[in-house]
Amino acid sequence: MPMFIRLEAGVFSLAEDPFTAVGDEQSVPPGDVIISLTRFQAEGEALMGEGRAVGVRLESHEEVEALAYDLPQLAVVALAFPKFGDGRAYSYARLLRERFGFRGEVRAVGDVLREQAGYMARCGFTAFEPADGSTLEDWRRASQRFRHAYQRSSDARSPAFVERGE
Amino acid sequence: MYRYDSIDKDFLADRTAEFREQVARRLAGELSEDQFKPLRLRNGLYLQLHAYMLRIAVPYGSLNPTQLRKLAWIGRTYDKGYGHFTTRTNLQFHWIKLSDAPDIVDHLASVDMHAIQTSGNCIRNVTADPYAGATSEEIDDPRVWAEAIRQWSTVHPEFNWLPRKFKIAVTAAAKDRTAAKTHDIGLNLKRSRDGALGFEVMVGGGLGRMPYIGQTIRQFLPATRLLSYLEAILRVYNRHGRRDNIHKARIKVLVAALGREEFAAQVEAEWEKNGAGADLPDTELARIRGAFVPKSFETLPSVSETFEAARLRTPAFARFARNNLKPHKVAGYAIVEISLKAIGATPGDATSEQMEVVADLAERFGQNDIRVTHEQNLVLPHVRLDDVPAVWAALAEAGLATPNMNLVSDIIACPGLDYCALANARAISVAQHIAERFADPDRAELVGELKVKISGCINACGHHHVGHIGILGVDKKGEEFYQLTLGGSAAEDAAVGQALGPALPYDKVAEAVDTLVETYLRERQSGERFLDTFRRTGVAPFKEAVYADVH
Amino acid sequence: MRALTANRLTDGEVVFWRKGQWVEQFGDADLFAPDDPAGEAAEGHAKNQPTVVVEPYLIDLMESAGLWAPQSYRERIRALGPSNLPHGKQTEGGATIDALLHAHGAARSTGRVDLIKRK
Repeated sequence: MPMFIRLEAGVFSLAEDPFTAVGDEQSVPPGDVIISLTRFQAEGEALMGEGRAVGVRLESHEEVEALAYDLPQLAVVALAFPKFGDGRAYSYARLLRERFGFRGEVRAVGDVLREQAGYMARCGFTAFEPADGSTLEDWRRASQRFRHAYQRSSDARSPAFVERGE
Repeated sequence: MYRYDSIDKDFLADRTAEFREQVARRLAGELSEDQFKPLRLRNGLYLQLHAYMLRIAVPYGSLNPTQLRKLAWIGRTYDKGYGHFTTRTNLQFHWIKLSDAPDIVDHLASVDMHAIQTSGNCIRNVTADPYAGATSEEIDDPRVWAEAIRQWSTVHPEFNWLPRKFKIAVTAAAKDRTAAKTHDIGLNLKRSRDGALGFEVMVGGGLGRMPYIGQTIRQFLPATRLLSYLEAILRVYNRHGRRDNIHKARIKVLVAALGREEFAAQVEAEWEKNGAGADLPDTELARIRGAFVPKSFETLPSVSETFEAARLRTPAFARFARNNLKPHKVAGYAIVEISLKAIGATPGDATSEQMEVVADLAERFGQNDIRVTHEQNLVLPHVRLDDVPAVWAALAEAGLATPNMNLVSDIIACPGLDYCALANARAISVAQHIAERFADPDRAELVGELKVKISGCINACGHHHVGHIGILGVDKKGEEFYQLTLGGSAAEDAAVGQALGPALPYDKVAEAVDTLVETYLRERQSGERFLDTFRRTGVAPFKEAVYADVH
Repeated sequence: MRALTANRLTDGEVVFWRKGQWVEQFGDADLFAPDDPAGEAAEGHAKNQPTVVVEPYLIDLMESAGLWAPQSYRERIRALGPSNLPHGKQTEGGATIDALLHAHGAARSTGRVDLIKRK
């Protein structure tokens, strides 16, 4: 099984990926799958009815609101980075966590580089598929680079303005 | 002035350590240039024509003498003994080595300075009124809010990978010295009828390929809600700004496409849903405000005998006083403008020695306060009138007393083709030629306020669209040509200039500006600035004069 | 003719290709005829040196007073240094630098300035 990096209760670990990412033109294999929004809208209910865990891959041009109704049933929302400079998914991740209260896995897929690790963790991502060969240690270090943060975000960190008041 | 606490200092230390590792990975081949470029840009490092360029943030244009001396030292140690102040109130060094850059940012951090987010598709250095805390025109001190924005925007997890760069300006006076309406967001501090503090929020200004003047999307935003509102604007932009075409990716294009009302409605809806999580508590605002409490000003008579005597005795000082002094809110004080536009010099350049002179003067006579303006000049905001003659003498000694503020030779120019990898044509030497034509200070004063702004390419770092006379360098078969525009303004009456006619070759530009000025002098009615005359007459007399008379 | 140029990774210095090495002066650069595939071959080699140079590319040259000069002003300024200060490569002086400083423009245009004729 392929591996990915998981963030749980502030701890990064390597984990085997129980999910299969399925393209729209592939047939759906048995087991837990991550499928496109289009496929989810057509087949999602049936697939979930089979008792397996289903995740949705959201492309950066797709609206996160399209998932609002189904979120309680979803195991994973995989947010795609077509290029690492395309930052829309950071907003989607925050909305999933802060507006829609999504408690499942938010996974970064696509052009996912170590330099984004800290931003992703702060915006509520909890799973990462690095495309640059980053090791667990690389990823952990990069995401914990800054001892302080200036803003409130989706993570539990106290921003500087709260730290200062303590 | 805001002092970094241990949190701010830790933050810089973490950032410089990160940058050092990124540079090492690039040199070792672990990062490709495509991967490295956005990272170095977010640390102000460009690769220009001759070397790397490091753009150092001067947050809201505010410096203390220790910082300016450090910049002078860096200029001498790692560059060729000078630096270039930009239209974003930053400082650029043009001869930097990649291998030195990590050391340089460490030196900057030692004086609470950095180059974070001075480039890249993220929120850039915030601009504020260079007269903040010194002018009686202001409603509140814009630096308080600019500092709040500086912190909020620094390594913002959601908004570091925007469709395009993003610039914010804060002003608090009716007279706009920040070019607020050319920013992605312009904030104008206001008081409501009941005395509450708030902002007029203008969005979608910007120059570049398609110039737009910012439009008001909210007349009055309660000041304490500023950051949550900015977050709403940025989120709408981050989600819906175009990413398919770099030339259409600025927020101005989104605002224009949606229309002001629809854009405003989306922001308001997002703001309402998002709550106040980003807003600073009153304690933090008070802490920041405490950093900007007015210095203890002396009680002085409004007329200084020393000052008046010097003015009568020395015509050159009188001229300096006429053009470079602005009224201070406290009697017996003045705001002193330092021109970085000596005739024939490079606009915005200062040598390390000049930086040290200004640092010394700020320390001796200026309450340790130095400002950078978006017009590429420096300001000593708090000088006793009694001390102005001594300040002037020291500035004159250093070649810094050119009495040309807001006059035709006070020209904005980007580095242009002499340094910049994006440029199509030179800007500096065109500025030099124009300034030399108006070297006679009597003539320059006779002409009066005239803002000439020159960009070496369509990216418009030289703000040509909003020059009373704007000059844009273009490339024809590798050779330099210049398109002129008239009637732009970056101030509260912001406007985009109108094209004069076909592009002129390099050696005809200064002559054409001279012709435009002569036309204005012929056409003007009493009290009219160049801009006023142009607005009354339109382009016709100017066009005819330039294209019929230049040979 | 053409020449191959780039900026050196470590310090950003403008460099030119000469027999598989990078040199700092345009006057020392290899010149390739427009139809000589050696130009593209050199460019290919250079693109495989990502830890040595950044963004190598071929530039067009033109003849000026018996010497070859880059056609565009941009490339001339890269080969010389800025025109506002005596910095960069121009400080070395010599015949090639001198020729670059005085090469005429490729467009050879005096511009369109007499569009409106007075009666």
